Amino acid sequence: MSAIYRSLIILLPLIVLITYGTILVTDQDDALVYFEPKEFPQFDLQDLEDREIDLAAFNGISLLNVWASWCITCLVEHPFLTQLSKNEITLIGLNYKDSQVKAEQWLEKRGDPYIFSIYDPRGDLAFDLGVTGAPETFLIFNQQIIGHIQGELNQEKWQSTLVPLINAATMGNQ
Amino acid sequence: MIGEIAHFLALASALGLILVLIFNAFFYSAGRHANQDILSYKLFHQSCLLIFISFGLYIYLAITDDFSISYIANHSNSQLPIFYKITSIWSAHEGSMFLWIVFLTLWSTLFIKSLSFQHQLKKGTMLMLTIIILGFLLFLLITSNPFERILPFGVLEGADINPVLQDPALAIHPPLLYLGYVGFVISFSFITAYLFHGDIHYPWEKDIKNWSLIAWIFLTVGITLGSWWAYYELGWGGYWFWDPVENVALMPWLAATAFMHSLFASSKSNILKTWTLFLGILIFALSLFGAFIVRSGIIDSVHSFANDPQRGLYLLGFSGFITLISLGIFAYRLPNMQSSKLIVTGSKESFLSMNNILMLTAIFSIFLGVTYPLILEFINGDKVSIGPPYYNTIFAPLILLTSIFIMISLEALWQRGMQARTLLIAVTPTFVISSLILYFIWYFVQIFSLLAYIGIYSGLLIIISYLLKGVISLKNKTYINKGSFVAHLGLGLLFFAVSMNSILSYQKNINLFLGEQQFINNSISEFKFLDLQNIKASNHDVVSAEIFIVHDGQPIFLNPEKRKYFARGQITSETAIHATVLKDTYLTIGDQLDDGSWTFSLQINYFIKWIWFSSALMVIGILMTIFKKKIL
Repeated sequence: MSAIYRSLIILLPLIVLITYGTILVTDQDDALVYFEPKEFPQFDLQDLEDREIDLAAFNGISLLNVWASWCITCLVEHPFLTQLSKNEITLIGLNYKDSQVKAEQWLEKRGDPYIFSIYDPRGDLAFDLGVTGAPETFLIFNQQIIGHIQGELNQEKWQSTLVPLINAATMGNQ
Repeated sequence: MIGEIAHFLALASALGLILVLIFNAFFYSAGRHANQDILSYKLFHQSCLLIFISFGLYIYLAITDDFSISYIANHSNSQLPIFYKITSIWSAHEGSMFLWIVFLTLWSTLFIKSLSFQHQLKKGTMLMLTIIILGFLLFLLITSNPFERILPFGVLEGADINPVLQDPALAIHPPLLYLGYVGFVISFSFITAYLFHGDIHYPWEKDIKNWSLIAWIFLTVGITLGSWWAYYELGWGGYWFWDPVENVALMPWLAATAFMHSLFASSKSNILKTWTLFLGILIFALSLFGAFIVRSGIIDSVHSFANDPQRGLYLLGFSGFITLISLGIFAYRLPNMQSSKLIVTGSKESFLSMNNILMLTAIFSIFLGVTYPLILEFINGDKVSIGPPYYNTIFAPLILLTSIFIMISLEALWQRGMQARTLLIAVTPTFVISSLILYFIWYFVQIFSLLAYIGIYSGLLIIISYLLKGVISLKNKTYINKGSFVAHLGLGLLFFAVSMNSILSYQKNINLFLGEQQFINNSISEFKFLDLQNIKASNHDVVSAEIFIVHDGQPIFLNPEKRKYFARGQITSETAIHATVLKDTYLTIGDQLDDGSWTFSLQINYFIKWIWFSSALMVIGILMTIFKKKIL
């Protein structure tokens, strides 16, 4: 068997390798900026202070953050959320499977970064949203969910995932 | 603290393995000394031991609910029984990778211990194994560290294991499958060492024969249990879905099966040697490809772990690296490997190599099915779905040809050709009997499906030819390979059961109000919705229905359930199954519709048990081959 034929034994797997490598690397870029937009689900809930929800908050760019007083990681991301709210980002809370009293105490003690928190003790809205646990954060643009982050939201995830999505959404709008 | 010790031991082990490599590289030019070898082996075994201790400590952490370890906090829960606390370790990426490495290490250290000190391939095999273990250990520690703590605070309670994973079959399915996948690291490393060493006359087959057979058994049992779990626990109503992850398990299995056969042939004569070497490399390469597909998140599947391109790239790069090393040496040695003897037409080897080609065709077809949608989506963004119709269509003719060759090669002789006429006469009874049985099946079933009938016929050819051979050898007291006899009966039965299942089974969607009853068909004359109960269990809500069915005159009560788990809000469906030898009555409860009625999915699945049984037969056959000399 000639050397050329024998080199095929190496070349063919190498082609497979390079193909998969390329797909993987390109896939990565997609994952950062692309998210299939979904309609925000209908819900029938009040906020923590028993007021009706102002749906106007879902227009434009806003963040819906799923939190609970029993959630330790929520405590960790709380300072970053507070910082975001100071930078005029509309932050809506979704209080998830929590007691109203404990949730209010939690906010009183640590500060409330949310414009209001939807009170969802049974996890109804959270279920429709596809929440698997707290914390999670949804990026909302004109009643549409355009991004989703599971786990702690921090500076790094904000910069790498949410900012490109916000830029893409608002640019498409103009 | 214990977490840090375990972490430290894993790091120390990596360091130990690096030292083995550096040490051997350093003294390579200085020539061989016995002391140098003793030191390498000691260091290798000690490094392996450190991994075992580290994993032992990790199990201890899981049992004692150390929720400051991020992985344990995310996948376990203090309420779980100890058994599931342990199995939660392999319920997601980091822990299962750890388990993978533990098995890799276990196989490696056992194999190296089994080789005598003078064995000329011991050192080379150990070095190859060291590289592989080290590569995966670094992958674990760098990209998917299971020891990571939640800082600054731990959590009080874990997030719970995924409820569908709380099942004994699933708890042991991944470990067995990993033992199978990883077991072929031995033949891979040994073959690489053999090719590198270059002494082509060394009879290498005998050293790895039983190791490969044991790995094959683990792989088979692992795949079967996974299939069993999908059928009984997931409530999918089927046993095989041509899911990408099932496919990447099937490819090494096919390669391993071909390898096993070639190994027998090449240990008798040298004729199929290059085949055997190539297949030995291919099995582990495909195992690594499987690990890449599952863990890179490149394919969406029930099995896939979270998407992380960094992990994917590392795995791809490393797997590619070791596969190419091995294939490179293989290509380099190939001209010296050509056997002086040619394969005689009509000999057993000739049919074995035909089946090798068919197996490779099957592997390539699956590979194409897994890869092609990805490439197409990459090129023009089209999403194509390659599913059961593709695989069924491709596999039917392959299975038929394979079965015919199996049947003929049963009559053929090693290294000697047989006249076509003699062969034809020998196999004619099988053809006739199988055709008659097929006709009777058609006569009673009255359903025709070309693909299924090809499958049934293939199964019958194998079963009948082996049974005839068995009867003849009993009568004439001639030799028959009992292990091969049982294993091939299993294979024939598998083809038969799978095909019969596909033509006979059917599904009905039923929509009923509480208290209502319905006539389904002549076989199921009554289907009555007796009762519906809402039950609160400790960690989930249950909706349980009571259904009364009259199936072939037999009264059956079934209780399908739906569960909603609090911890993750996940809904699972508990299937109710009434099983007889021939068929299963398989009932799942669906959703409540707006008008208050409930949907049910009723499936009548034929020959399901036979599928598990046939796989058990194959395993028993191989076990008989391993223990042949000892008990028979």
